[in-house]
Amino acid sequence: MSKKIVKVEKGKTGWGGPFTLYASGKQNVVASVTGGGIDPLAQKIADLLEVPVVDGFNNKVEPENMIVVVTDCGGTARCGVYPKMGVKTIDINAISPSGPLAKFMNEENFCSGCTIDTAYLVEDDGSIDTAPVEATVAPEQEASSEPAPEQKGFMGLIAKMGGAVGTFVNTFYQAGRDSVDMVMRNILPFMAFVSVLVGIINYSGIGNILANAVKPLAGSLPGLIGLSIFCAIPFLSPMLGPGAVIGQIIGVLLGVEIGKGTIPPSYSLPALFAINSQVGCDFIPVALTLAEAEDKTVQAGVPAQLFTRLVTGPVAVLIAFAFSLGLY
Amino acid sequence: MNVVVGLAKGFTGIIGAGATNLTGLITGMIPNLLILLTLVNAIIALIGEDKVNAFAKKMTKFRITRYTILPFLALFFFTNPMCYTMGRFVEEEQKPGFIDATFRLAHPITGIFAHANAGEIFIWSGISSGIVKLGLDATPLAVRYLIVGLIVTFISGNVTEFVTKRILATSK
Repeated sequence: MSKKIVKVEKGKTGWGGPFTLYASGKQNVVASVTGGGIDPLAQKIADLLEVPVVDGFNNKVEPENMIVVVTDCGGTARCGVYPKMGVKTIDINAISPSGPLAKFMNEENFCSGCTIDTAYLVEDDGSIDTAPVEATVAPEQEASSEPAPEQKGFMGLIAKMGGAVGTFVNTFYQAGRDSVDMVMRNILPFMAFVSVLVGIINYSGIGNILANAVKPLAGSLPGLIGLSIFCAIPFLSPMLGPGAVIGQIIGVLLGVEIGKGTIPPSYSLPALFAINSQVGCDFIPVALTLAEAEDKTVQAGVPAQLFTRLVTGPVAVLIAFAFSLGLY
Repeated sequence: MNVVVGLAKGFTGIIGAGATNLTGLITGMIPNLLILLTLVNAIIALIGEDKVNAFAKKMTKFRITRYTILPFLALFFFTNPMCYTMGRFVEEEQKPGFIDATFRLAHPITGIFAHANAGEIFIWSGISSGIVKLGLDATPLAVRYLIVGLIVTFISGNVTEFVTKRILATSK
């Protein structure tokens, strides 16, 4: 029996790859970490490789057992977490490396924009080395500071001071570089996107229609509580979660209306909580994996978090409303 | 012809309105954000992971610190998404509670410490830009956002811990 090998290429507007996938050693499952069940692409890869596919959203999968993980990350968390752990990652959204962990993403471990048409079986002609390889965890970047040979007296003191100043300067310089990277990769693109939205809202008549729709929802306490319960509905919240994109868009829309005076400014505090009762719901099993939780804890923890939001969501709005008294 | 001119006018009008908004964001927000991110990132690097971890371990024992100070430390020092790795210090059945608590703080913290979740600051800055537009100071809102955030974090952590334990008990 020849070994099954599947090749996955990036989509038309995707990035990275291509991947050559095969089961080896402990790596024997395909993981699908997408909000609504198993992704068809993950199913197809698993079928072609004749290995099981696991819904990583409801079950915990050890990273070292994954041949590949399929996600639908919008570009913040999941797309970077798995490359950092050394797992090949397919993102069905066509994104390029972004998010806080972008530096761990490269063409070897990340491939995006893939569809079921870009994955296909290839013949094992022996040209591909399918020997078992352990998933290697990307080594942390360590600033290895070789201890300089001890110098005595005045020159030694100068050398020590120089070293200390050097560390200090380099730390700040690197911090600056990371900060600029963050602004360029995540914040500026979102600002451009938000500005297009605001441009359309402010210039066209859509703003007035929107204001009328938003006012009963965000301009009254029952409306805000309703909004928070809606965002917390257990099968909706994982889909509203990714990248906090939807929450951020609603935040911008409400901000525009607050600025125009449609919504009273004191409602800004409860509104901040009302639009965010879904926070993290797309990320629960991954976060629990990062916390090194066991399988049964994940199986109990996911529903526990999803369902408690129905209570803690509106409670948060009520507390925020109480604290908004006397504000503005 | 007039229709075409009208359409073109509308198009350039939208572009202009968007560009004005973008200019405001870039000059008003990015310089502050860059200074904050650089300063806090440098402080985090100078303090070092080990010291934060050692301190965090002491915070896991008591309910009140586990669901307030611990998520705050995790977000402040390790930022979203690596903050969740701090969950390995808490007891197994408390992990979902800790994760939920940290989720709930991930945006309230950005009103003052934007670096903790800089990729998702528009939940906060979207709404606070409306306050600024009215000529009001957004700082009181940021402070209350964090205080209420910590209260909600505490409640969510406890409720989720309770429900997780109940589910684990019935599934045995």
